[in-house]
Amino acid sequence: MSLKNYVITRILLAIPMMFILLALIFFILRIMPGDPVLAIVGGKAPQHVIEKLREQMGLNKSIPAQFVDYVLSMLKGDLGKSTLTNRPVLDELKERLPATIELTAFAFVMAVLIGTFWGAEAARKKDRSLDVGARMFAIVTYAIPVFWLGLMMQLLFGMVLKWLPVAGRISPALSFTPITGFYLVDSIIKGNWAALWDAFKHLIMPGVALGLIISSIFLRMVRNNTVLMLSKDFVKAAVARGIRERAVLYGHALKNALVPILTIMGLQLALLLAGAVLTETTFSWPGVGSYLVQKIRYRDFPAIQGTIVIFALIVVVISICVDIINALVDPRVRY
Amino acid sequence: MKAVTSKYLSHRITRKIFKSSTGIVTFIGAAILVFFLFLAVFSPQIAPHNPTERVSRPLQAPNSEFLFGTDNLGRDILSRVIYGARIALTIAFLAVVIAAAIGIPLGLISGYIGGVFDRILTLIMDAIYSFPGLILAIAIAAVLGPGIVNIALSIAVVYAPTYFRVIRNQVAGIKDELYVEAARALGARSPSILLRYILPNVLPSVIVVLSMNLADAIMTEAGLSFLGLGIAPPTPDWGYDLSSGQRFVLSKAWWAILFPGISIITTVLGFSMFSEGLNEYLNPTIRERR
Repeated sequence: MSLKNYVITRILLAIPMMFILLALIFFILRIMPGDPVLAIVGGKAPQHVIEKLREQMGLNKSIPAQFVDYVLSMLKGDLGKSTLTNRPVLDELKERLPATIELTAFAFVMAVLIGTFWGAEAARKKDRSLDVGARMFAIVTYAIPVFWLGLMMQLLFGMVLKWLPVAGRISPALSFTPITGFYLVDSIIKGNWAALWDAFKHLIMPGVALGLIISSIFLRMVRNNTVLMLSKDFVKAAVARGIRERAVLYGHALKNALVPILTIMGLQLALLLAGAVLTETTFSWPGVGSYLVQKIRYRDFPAIQGTIVIFALIVVVISICVDIINALVDPRVRY
Repeated sequence: MKAVTSKYLSHRITRKIFKSSTGIVTFIGAAILVFFLFLAVFSPQIAPHNPTERVSRPLQAPNSEFLFGTDNLGRDILSRVIYGARIALTIAFLAVVIAAAIGIPLGLISGYIGGVFDRILTLIMDAIYSFPGLILAIAIAAVLGPGIVNIALSIAVVYAPTYFRVIRNQVAGIKDELYVEAARALGARSPSILLRYILPNVLPSVIVVLSMNLADAIMTEAGLSFLGLGIAPPTPDWGYDLSSGQRFVLSKAWWAILFPGISIITTVLGFSMFSEGLNEYLNPTIRERR
């Protein structure tokens, strides 16, 4: 199969997946016990108010009709209006998405760097202190809740040492007006170096907290796969040809160890998104995750539904991308 | 004879445990679990104070009377941490049991029947599996509202696909084995084939998944209650006690953050160390996926 055909097939396969996720979200939010209307107005509202709201939200129709309405409006990109602010949910999400992308990208890059280099070195010095340390680190960080790590960092670096700001994305005193919503990019475009430094200082703590938690998984996978690769014949052959140890490690063993990791990367990114919800809440980071939590507090069901649909979309798009990258790196996948 | 065998076995297991590092890890994990189970069961006897009552001035640093200090409402943090083990373990066990109760039968039937039914169910389970677990649990918990069973249910939905996958794949693999064929030829009906011939053969692989999921379930429960979606206050809960963390940060009340967090970390560590060891013993050939 050519790469082009593979990409097309993969995208077509994503359609049933997205449909199932949409149906799942619909099922959870509409059919499970719990009435969104009662949740919004409270149990003591007069009957006509309840009926009117039910009609507005299209909840008086039959369940299949509601489902058709819902899928059609999702296809049109209409996520509905927030009952709290009366603004389109999509607009509100667009404002918040850059913050989440900035945070998760920082965390992801950090996790990959820690995982790759520590993992490779640990594999080279198997069962020595660096390796034992890596294993300990992986086991312990797996057990640490990201919000707890965040709180401890806030306490230490924010309150006691006063090195970094405790919460938020940028100091309000700078009265920074974003262009794209990516503060790091915006401040570079504007040439506002004070803002760049400030935004970066705000990003460090949430980014590191999330990155550390995710890195343990990479570390573990890279280490185990590299150990496996180092025992293979092609590595021994490379060593026998007199190639330097580091070059064999990074050029031969690690390169091949990373291929199977790419396959499971999609699942790790899903984990990253879940972690982002907790991290954003801890650091009052104005992203999609803290938006979701805030909307749940006010029982704003259209907004909750819209946010989760966007999360589903992100998951599907990421899994397509990962598969395509995988097919590029490893031609066997295509057959 | 039997006594001799079991004595020999137990001796061999003890030797095995202390010989390898995996054995020590498993042992430490098990010890942590027993410790927290003990705390959970006997919390009224162990806790020095009532966990939901104001017993002192708010935000007192740890001292001889309140070993872990007091929280913003003047409640004893040590007592809350001890009682917190109850909620964490109850919800985690309940969630895992529900997840297994959904996933195992569906996996059995799906793998056995095959065909379109199997395809569709697999697609649905894969979709749930690919979705960020915590976000799915958040959505369900937001609809169901607080309460032990509701939280357990929200977490269970996230983990049910794991059981489904493990069971389904194994059933699909062994349903054409000779002993199953033989049972069928002798006139055994499908339900009895499933329950008496197939289930006992696929169940052992679930045990490891079960103990691994317990660690994840505790994490997810802590996350949910941190976000205010867990147990209704004032019930002591580790995650919930950290949800007013920002306030503790601003007043530099490190003890109010440190101790509930340490409890979560140790419990999760205990479960994951234990399950890792269990994995090595039960399925030495199956490499971990994480």
